[in-house]
Amino acid sequence: MQEVAVIGVGMHRFGKTGDDIVGTKSVGSLCRTAVDAALKDAGVNWKQIQAVAAASSRFSGGKGWGLNGNDVVEDLGSTGIPVYNMSAGCAAGGNAFNVGYSMVAGGVYDMMLVVGGEVMPKGMIQTSGVEEATDPEFLRQRCIGMPGPSFWSTLARRRMFEYGTTEEQFSQVAVKARKCSVHNPMARFQKEITVEDVMNSPYVSNPLRLFQICPVSNGAAAAIICSKEYAKKFTSKPITVASSTVATMTFNDMLPRGLADPMTECANLHTEAQNAVANAFEKSGIGPGDVSFTELQDNTCYYELAFPEEWGLCEAGESESLLMAGETTPTGRMPINPSGGFVSFGEATTAMGVFQIAELTWQLRGQAGGRQVPDAKVGLAQTLGLGGNATAAILKR
Amino acid sequence: MSESGLPCVEGLFSAEDGVATLHGSKCTGCNTPYFPRSEACHNPDCTGSNIVDFDFGGSGTLWSYSVADFPPPPPHKFDKPFAPYAIGVVDMECGLRLIGQMVDKAEDVKVDAKVELVIDTLYHEDDVAYSSWKFKQI
Repeated sequence: MQEVAVIGVGMHRFGKTGDDIVGTKSVGSLCRTAVDAALKDAGVNWKQIQAVAAASSRFSGGKGWGLNGNDVVEDLGSTGIPVYNMSAGCAAGGNAFNVGYSMVAGGVYDMMLVVGGEVMPKGMIQTSGVEEATDPEFLRQRCIGMPGPSFWSTLARRRMFEYGTTEEQFSQVAVKARKCSVHNPMARFQKEITVEDVMNSPYVSNPLRLFQICPVSNGAAAAIICSKEYAKKFTSKPITVASSTVATMTFNDMLPRGLADPMTECANLHTEAQNAVANAFEKSGIGPGDVSFTELQDNTCYYELAFPEEWGLCEAGESESLLMAGETTPTGRMPINPSGGFVSFGEATTAMGVFQIAELTWQLRGQAGGRQVPDAKVGLAQTLGLGGNATAAILKR
Repeated sequence: MSESGLPCVEGLFSAEDGVATLHGSKCTGCNTPYFPRSEACHNPDCTGSNIVDFDFGGSGTLWSYSVADFPPPPPHKFDKPFAPYAIGVVDMECGLRLIGQMVDKAEDVKVDAKVELVIDTLYHEDDVAYSSWKFKQI
């Protein structure tokens, strides 16, 4: 295994179809901007890229949306290089990063591009549109009608029941996130909001309100990775990938992804994420106490409270007090989502795992401006995809 | 059942004499229940994977719930005008954590409440009522 480094990252600012940021740009156009920025950041030209790991959402087929990595290569110049299209729902970006990482680590390629991007359909994310009784997602929507926000709301309500979490505390997570986003030129939302603003936003699915849930966005992110040895040609300060993992849920998981799940003694609701993060810690020899900051998948503010506890970053039931004491801000003891997170960016599904790699890289280089985590040495990233799959990555300087 | 009609998806459940029955499966090797039916046992420690039909109904405890305050996108179907409804996640006595709509109004639903399975109308199409399983607080 060779050590792997990130030598360049880039993004297209996130926005909403029709706005001044992304307008009517295609997913190809968004990706081209992100890739060009990453190439420039790395000091690499397109012809030096030997292969592409692309986060693809074409599994959602038939709806005319989704990224196909081959199209990105065509747009940048059809060099004939291999493209690996990874489809893993919201975990696709993290999956693509892991495939790129694994191939460079294994010596198959010296340098690869990892890219994800999306032009999202409006509204709540829909299923494939194929009415097939063997598709658990179709069954859940037809027989019950439980889109993402309602799924997250059951988790939030359970936390309120178990820990006494208040709606104001969920709101405080959003307030903290937006405060970071003011300093992130790539975020879709860059204005501060107050707890009152959040509490005045309508319920999307009680108990979760509009500002506590990430909307869908258009955006793209790219990273250039290479072997640490090869990186010396381009930079004296590469960011090292300490570990990159992919995991699925384990049998004892207690969160029904479809209609029902067998009950076990296990209390964990997100074993796929826990497995990915635990494996990332184990493979890197880095522990929760060594993490300078974390970029986690906050589709809803609930996750910012639950995940740090499930991964051992803090004690069970401690998240609310850390939040209220300001310890999850960039200058706190346990900084979470200094980028502003999904709540400030919105979710451009396949871009998110790569967006996190970009933020980790900027933070570890000390280039994060007003949202900088002081003296950031180790960053943890995590994604979670529909169907019980997750990814994690640990980067260090 | 509030009116006679058709199930929203065939083969998942039935209602006879007012009793709701869900049609799942169970592994006889490790006794793990599944709904909908699973073709194989998901338990990695179970070497048997001998799946048989398993019907269940009855009651359970509400683990949590949420409210659909906005109409979900297709393939969900609902009667217009849209009326918000509660969605329950229930720990059933048969050993499944099961999701379903609540019959009760959202403001009446309480975590940890005892609930029972019922079959109730979900939506109408061409004058036919389509039903699904739901939970009702006892």
